[in-house]
Amino acid sequence: MTVVEQQTRAPGSVSRRRRGRRRPSPQGSRWTPYLFLAPAALFILVFQAVPLAQEIFLSFTRTTLLNPTESTWVGLDNFVRIFGDEDFHRTLRTTVVYVIACVVGAVGAGLAVALLLNRSFRGRGWARALVTVPWAAPGIAVALIATWMLNPQYGIVNRFLDAIGLGVPGGAILDSPRYALPAILATTIWQLFPFTSVVLLSALQSVPKDLTEAAMVDGAGPWSAFRAVTWPVIRPTVGLLALLMTIWSLRRFELIWLMTKGGPVGATETLVIDLYSQAFDSKELGSAAAIGMVGVVISLIVIAGSRFVARAAEKEDTR
Amino acid sequence: MKGLRIGLTLRVVAVIVVLGLAVFPLYWMFVTALTSNADLFGQDARLIPDFSQFGVFVDALADGKATGWLLNSLTIAAGTTVLSIGLGIPLGYALSRFRFRGKAVMTIVLLFTQMLPEALMVVPLFALFRRFELLDSLTGLVLANSAFVLPIVALILKGAIDGIPNELDEAGRVDGARPFTVLTRINIPLIAPSIAASAVIAFFHAWNEYVFAVTFIFNPEIQPASVGIANFIGELGTPIQTVMAVAFMFTLPAVVFYLFVQRYVVAGMTAGAVKG
Repeated sequence: MTVVEQQTRAPGSVSRRRRGRRRPSPQGSRWTPYLFLAPAALFILVFQAVPLAQEIFLSFTRTTLLNPTESTWVGLDNFVRIFGDEDFHRTLRTTVVYVIACVVGAVGAGLAVALLLNRSFRGRGWARALVTVPWAAPGIAVALIATWMLNPQYGIVNRFLDAIGLGVPGGAILDSPRYALPAILATTIWQLFPFTSVVLLSALQSVPKDLTEAAMVDGAGPWSAFRAVTWPVIRPTVGLLALLMTIWSLRRFELIWLMTKGGPVGATETLVIDLYSQAFDSKELGSAAAIGMVGVVISLIVIAGSRFVARAAEKEDTR
Repeated sequence: MKGLRIGLTLRVVAVIVVLGLAVFPLYWMFVTALTSNADLFGQDARLIPDFSQFGVFVDALADGKATGWLLNSLTIAAGTTVLSIGLGIPLGYALSRFRFRGKAVMTIVLLFTQMLPEALMVVPLFALFRRFELLDSLTGLVLANSAFVLPIVALILKGAIDGIPNELDEAGRVDGARPFTVLTRINIPLIAPSIAASAVIAFFHAWNEYVFAVTFIFNPEIQPASVGIANFIGELGTPIQTVMAVAFMFTLPAVVFYLFVQRYVVAGMTAGAVKG
């Protein structure tokens, strides 16, 4: 987890932070910090740690929503069953596709927009503000307007696609096993790209301008100037954003749930959707918890992996 | 020279396209609210709002149902803000200014909780709330939402306090102030902008929250707007104009507030915090 902490430091705050750390100030008695900490720690214990422990316990039991206080210990049965289930394999594949497409789409679009807005022009402040609108919009509202825009008969998207001759037959994009996931991905990326572009825009501020110009004067094209000057500066930020997008996409629920409920025939069912419908439609709390644990373990593996990659990259740089 | 001009034109076009894409869906929400049935279901889409239809906003509010939803959302969001800031300030202060056993564990816990999906925690929290009779109550939602936003708030505030020179604290202590007084008199006034930013984050986290609200609340009287609006999706009884008018009134405050504090929010998010 420390990789998140290390990478996420805003560039400007590093030196100040160091100063704070070098001179810790033991004030009051040794119990003082715990007095400040206790209320929040207790709160997190009750509403996060204990429920998580219960969920871990549930994943080893058979428990139904109808009688949730009665659990039968079944060991690894839930895990054996879900991993033997074809539908779960499809869920895993969908999750991987969804997450990778979100990361590539959101970081790619964010980088393109950041590079676009990094030049000074009149109205740049306005452009930067307006571009953050999708990120600020509530997920519920986004799901609602996306569903309306994709309405088979009256949706503006279908009207537009028909007008340029690319209409989907029948227009029911969200009911089509082929087009539902791309539609959800487009909506997700639309909501995420403002965040990635604003973060990358602030990373681009620390790219030395004269160096880019020097490279151009030396005859480097925009592409090689980008690779030689810009990319090394923003690479850690890109890595951090990729990690954030992965974790967020692994836990994203309401957008997918409200647009398709995971359908049609599981085409948009990610782990979190599967877990929720197991718990509340099939009323199987045990398998739901097991699916949730698979998601948590995947997140942990991704975080550990990113830490490994970040370390390797650091070594490469110092060599 | 000519190439330069073409490049410039292309860039202007690209900026306009990007901004159009960013803003269009919310614009479309507004336009749909202000479109008569005849235009809505006609051959060609009407692309600009018809302000003669403005009564839809007035009617939606006068009806009382949507107003009730928005008030419930407001209550939940205000409660979540107060609770998470109230707990987050001392936690951020402890993490920033003290060295103590368990500090690393606490930091890891704060980061770890942010990868837990609400959809996973909804089952055990449901059981917990049932035992303590917190189901079907706004208090329950305030507690659940605070638990999820507290780590983000605490990490943002820790970062903010890290940015205050320790000498100021020491000066206060030389004058005989106790740690609590140092926090309230010296640190809190200096991190006011970060407190405001994390208050906005906490407020709209709760304002937008859906999973807990739809699972824990049965009484339609205390249902927040997120659930009310989500119920419109796929439902055919309510005119789409009313749906969009309510959704627009739900969305606008979030967008406007984020525009005001977006610099702090983005800095806070990237300074050790992860939002879902």
